[in-house]
Amino acid sequence: MIGKHEWFRRRKYTGWGFTPVTWQGWIYVAISILPLVLLTSFPPISQTRIVLIVIWALIVSCDFIDIMIHLPKDERDRIHEAIAERNALWVILAVLIVGAAYQTATGVMTQDISKIDPVILIAVVVGLVVKAVSNFYLDKKN
Amino acid sequence: METRISYFRNKLSITQEQLAQAVGVTRQTIISLEQNRYNPSLLLAYKITKALQQKNIEEVFILQNSI
Repeated sequence: MIGKHEWFRRRKYTGWGFTPVTWQGWIYVAISILPLVLLTSFPPISQTRIVLIVIWALIVSCDFIDIMIHLPKDERDRIHEAIAERNALWVILAVLIVGAAYQTATGVMTQDISKIDPVILIAVVVGLVVKAVSNFYLDKKN
Repeated sequence: METRISYFRNKLSITQEQLAQAVGVTRQTIISLEQNRYNPSLLLAYKITKALQQKNIEEVFILQNSI
C-alpha cells in the first residue's frame, strides 16, 4: 500500500476516518486528491476519464481502508471508539426512523407512497443485518 | 480499582512513555490508569505487572470494595 499509518491518527472529535499528523500525511492527502481535481477540472469528461476516476477511487479507497485498519489502537482506544460509534449510530438510527415515519405519514396523507425514500429503509434493514451478523460472529468467537 | 503504577514506575525510574511502549498502549492509557480512571483488561494488568517487575497483580492493582 502507498500510505503509512504512522503519518495519521484517528479522528476523534471531527468526524470519521483519519487526519494527518506528519508532513508526509499532508502530502499523501494532497496527492490523493490531485488526480480527481485534474480529471474533473477540464471538460468534456470522456468515458476514459470516468474509467480513470473509478480506478483512482478504488486505489485510494483500498489504501484508506488499509491505513484505518493499521492505525495503532490500544484497548482503551477501542472501548472509547466502540462507545462513541454506538452513540453516533443510535442518533443516526433515531433520525432515520423519524425521517421514515415522517415520509410515511405524509405519503399516506397525500396518498403518494413514492414520497417514502427507499434508501432510508434499506439503510435500517442493512444495519439490522450487520448487527445480527456481528453478534453471531462475536458469540461464536468468544 | 486503585493502582500503584506510578509508585513502582518511579521506583524503576521509567517514564510513562517508556512503560506505555513496553506494554503496547498509549501514554494516555497509562495516565488514566495512574489516576484510577480506567480499569484495564486482565492481559494489560499482567503486562504492566511484569513490566514493573512485580510478581503479583495484587501488588500493582488493588481491587476496592471487593466481594
